[in-house]
Amino acid sequence: MNISVSGCENVRQTLGQFGSRRIYGCIEQPHTDFTIRVSGQVKTGLAIYEEYSEAPLESTVFRVQSGLTQPGPSIRAFHDSLSLKGSAYDRALTIRKAVHEAFCYLPGTTAAHESGETAFSRREGVCQDYAHVMLSLLRMEGIPARYVTGMLLGEGASHAWVEAQCRGYWYGFDPTNNLLVDDSYIRMCCGRDSADCAVIRGTFYGLAAQVQREQVTVEKNKEKL
Amino acid sequence: MDGLIQHSETINKLLARYGVKFGIYKNGEFKEQLFPFDPIPRVIGHEEFAYLEKGLKQRVDALNCFLRDIYGKKQILRDGVIPEEFVFSAKGYLPPCDGVTPPKGIYSHISGIDLVQSKNDSWYILEDNLRVPSGASYPMIAREFQRKSAPAAFLHNSVIDNRNYAQMLKSVMDNVNTGGINVILSPGRYNAAFFEHSYLAERTGAVLTTGSDLVCENDNLYYVDYEGRKRRVGAVYRRISDEYLDPMTFYEESVIGIPHVFEAYKKGNVALLNAPGNGVADDKGIYYFVPKMIRYYLGEDAILQNAPTYLPYYEQDMKYTLDNFDKLVIKDVAEAGGYGVVFGSSLTKEQKADFITLLKNEPRRFIAQEVIDFYDLDILDEAGGRVPRKADLRAFVLTGSETQVWPSGLTRFSRNPNSFIVNSSQGGGFKDTWVLSR
Repeated sequence: MNISVSGCENVRQTLGQFGSRRIYGCIEQPHTDFTIRVSGQVKTGLAIYEEYSEAPLESTVFRVQSGLTQPGPSIRAFHDSLSLKGSAYDRALTIRKAVHEAFCYLPGTTAAHESGETAFSRREGVCQDYAHVMLSLLRMEGIPARYVTGMLLGEGASHAWVEAQCRGYWYGFDPTNNLLVDDSYIRMCCGRDSADCAVIRGTFYGLAAQVQREQVTVEKNKEKL
Repeated sequence: MDGLIQHSETINKLLARYGVKFGIYKNGEFKEQLFPFDPIPRVIGHEEFAYLEKGLKQRVDALNCFLRDIYGKKQILRDGVIPEEFVFSAKGYLPPCDGVTPPKGIYSHISGIDLVQSKNDSWYILEDNLRVPSGASYPMIAREFQRKSAPAAFLHNSVIDNRNYAQMLKSVMDNVNTGGINVILSPGRYNAAFFEHSYLAERTGAVLTTGSDLVCENDNLYYVDYEGRKRRVGAVYRRISDEYLDPMTFYEESVIGIPHVFEAYKKGNVALLNAPGNGVADDKGIYYFVPKMIRYYLGEDAILQNAPTYLPYYEQDMKYTLDNFDKLVIKDVAEAGGYGVVFGSSLTKEQKADFITLLKNEPRRFIAQEVIDFYDLDILDEAGGRVPRKADLRAFVLTGSETQVWPSGLTRFSRNPNSFIVNSSQGGGFKDTWVLSR
């Protein structure tokens, strides 16, 4: 993997929360723009990511609601309207489908850190909101679930989906596309909700408005790795 | 004593002149108001203080053990002493702190423990403040003025000098300092406790800074002075809350923090007082479990008792809470400073029904407590007569190479005769607290 940040020589690495990798640095000189370029090859393949331990203490943090998944009246009412039964996996499938159908995909309607409840009360949102509502419902069912940020084959921006703990494994569910996560998904980091999983964060001193553009290209490698 | 009362007005004037003020935000507006001082001191006897001291040390030591455990091995959860979800759903639990050990393993260096004395003379712990407890500077400076205006009062009563707080605080900072200067990090002059930040900086010799005076380079923290010279910082007594501390790790929009300071802390290059993540231990829901923690970590029975508390999270406690709603006080675990406190008896029928729905939907969010009939302390009213008012005591417990209790404290009282809420943010006043040396 290749990482370069224009104008920043001292790029450092650290391990962030929930095992995510973080790269950080600072540009001290006055500047009007900078670019972060990340490129590389990834091998995907498994839809089941990891087995959880016998004493699943670490997953409890994902079983309780977090800041952006706190249910309010609209999610609670929606939960009451679903007839959920069967195993955790079956319930997760039902929830994925129900969330997918209840929402209307509408880019540009959601603020950066909006709660699932706020978006759901409008029934409009993007992948982040679909994921938050699904997390909220899974956790109401007592199923540990976490937010995942990553990329999707061919798409123009980063994507978000959900992993739920069923039958001893973490399974990936994509409520936005109503799909199970397969080898066209590239997983970057996970957390309790989107606030834990920002692709980029930063701050600057100075008087200026800022614009941020993001571009993601994912292509299938024709050669066998 | 008469000397003190006689000079009450002078002392209040001096306090105003020295800027002993409390800033509060009300309806989005910043207002500074004086923190009214009452000249009649609270007096704590020698033996009584020895008892409090023992109990407070025990409590703070156990809370420090708990924090080390929660951000480390989590043995107390594995042993089922505290339900896991109570810890992980606490707002103050910060996943980035997991696995990070602060210098010398100390999490709560400055703890503000709020106590009340009931009418039958027993003391109860009301809450623990392990994040950024404020208030020590007020009795310090009030004592300073009183000693000048009424020296006789201190000549004829054997009161322990409380002006050693600064030395205690300095040695707590020095104890964890990783090499470099000590600084106090303040959000700036519009903060409610700015007087205190500047006063403590002056008294401890630490440099008073705001976020923009401090920079991180190669995972070390530096103070940049007015000439642009950089000096390494070894300990930060930060007076800003966890979420604003580092925009790269916590709340991204924070402009009062220090970018990347959390990385420097994580690598052991700077001490933060108090450690980030302490909110998990002073959570009102976790409060219920503190006596169990004392037993678990220290193998002792708690010396100081909690106020009788119920967790609606447990079925039988929910039942008790609903059955006795009118005589209980319900607190929102996420709120502080006297906000989010509801007396069951004060609600109208509709409010009560709404509140009970909320309680049933989010049982984890609330605790219910018996209303303790506080012991009243006399204060002077405007006409110069004595009237009784509800008062509490914030004790300051400092953990350096060992845990010590400051022989004084902040006694806050409610100015409203019908109110139990003594917080300064709710317009209360304060008294000096005398601990007798014999």
